[in-house]
Amino acid sequence: MWSFYIEQLIHSLPFFLKGLWMTIAVSGLSLLAGTAIGFIWGILRASRSRFVKPLIGAWVDVVRGTPFLVQVFIIFFLLPEFGIQLEAFPAAVIALTNLAACFICEIVAAGIQAVPSGQMEAATSTGLNALQQLRYVILPQSMRIILPPLVGQFVLLIKDSSVVSAIGVMDVTRVGWLTVQRVPQGLLVFGLVAVLYFVICYPLIRISNSMEKRMSAGVTLNKM
Amino acid sequence: MIEFRDVHKWFGELHVLKGINLKVDPAEVLVVCGPSGSGKSTLIRCINRLEPIQKGALIVDTMKVHESKTNMTRLRAEIGFVFQQFNLYPHMTALQNVTLAPMKVRKTAKKEAEDQGRYVLEKVGLGDKLHQYPAQLSGGQQQRVAIARGLCMRPKIMLFDEPTSALDPEMINEVLEVMRNLAREGMTMIVVTHEMGFAREVAHRVAFMDFGELMEIAPPREFFAHPKSERTKLFLSKILTH
Repeated sequence: MWSFYIEQLIHSLPFFLKGLWMTIAVSGLSLLAGTAIGFIWGILRASRSRFVKPLIGAWVDVVRGTPFLVQVFIIFFLLPEFGIQLEAFPAAVIALTNLAACFICEIVAAGIQAVPSGQMEAATSTGLNALQQLRYVILPQSMRIILPPLVGQFVLLIKDSSVVSAIGVMDVTRVGWLTVQRVPQGLLVFGLVAVLYFVICYPLIRISNSMEKRMSAGVTLNKM
Repeated sequence: MIEFRDVHKWFGELHVLKGINLKVDPAEVLVVCGPSGSGKSTLIRCINRLEPIQKGALIVDTMKVHESKTNMTRLRAEIGFVFQQFNLYPHMTALQNVTLAPMKVRKTAKKEAEDQGRYVLEKVGLGDKLHQYPAQLSGGQQQRVAIARGLCMRPKIMLFDEPTSALDPEMINEVLEVMRNLAREGMTMIVVTHEMGFAREVAHRVAFMDFGELMEIAPPREFFAHPKSERTKLFLSKILTH
């Protein structure tokens, strides 16, 4: 009985690999764009700007305070009501990019604010402009603080990407849903789905862990 | 060179500078002392607008610091600032610390900036520490790098905010020595410090601040021998007896 199902699964392996590729495409694009946007938002959020800062803060709160599934539905089902028709794939990428940007924005802002204010004062007093201060003095120091949680966040976002299967994006999770209708062995099918996610996420988890160790070691070195 | 005209500064409700009038001439060395919280740090932080003032006029090297449209980035390049906590960039070597601003603000070529950086670090006695990171330097050495960082911009004015207060006693002198040399070379300096020996020896005038007011300002001989205000007398008796 089991061997029959396993054989069936092996037959649908190409299907799963296609799904895996889709998961990687959605996550990869979203993480890339989300990181870029998240850094910009994070920098603005840590700045003294009176207008943009609360605006970004409010947006981040809204996104963090609503289920991702609902956000995906809004983009996919509600935007067409306003004349913005999106295919499932771009809708998924937009939703996940926005989610990534919001979480990364918080990480970046926290990293910038963790740099002692004296650093910015010193840079200011030597005549560096705001952009130069950020680039040469603040960001290089913040990156030590930002990188470990950033990579950790990537893992969470890749897993969150499974939600986009709900609007028909043919990712690993959706492939699992479809397969389980032909191969009624949920444990087996979703076990495979889990393994495929794990294969992408595990290297990132290791990277994040080792970075965290290296960074904290660096901090103690710095204090000596 | 620097002129305060009835300058007021508030931190929220707190009135920290109450009508400061002060004129500092080129090549003058002014030492400012006073109890903590008297506003002396704030006074010099206003000069390059690390703190904005709310009332009065503040003119530095013909530029109006009190006007918001003044290009402060340009003025700050002409003013070196040395902090109590050094505030060196921890991710850069001594040489990188002192060459960053010349390269990015003055657009000096890297080679030239490094030659000058080496020269200035040599001058403050750190010729052998060019490639050390701040964490590898003692407090006194770090503060001398910080002074060199200011000097590499070839400033017209150097401001010192309690430059020796965070140092172990045995390191104070090496920093003061650098400042003495600087004064001898004719740098315009305002030094917030409690090092009264330095004030006696180097300052042209000594000022005493208390409760956000400039209580007294006089040449050091007169300042120490015949302080006019009671509060100055009290303060001096407190810090000079031990």
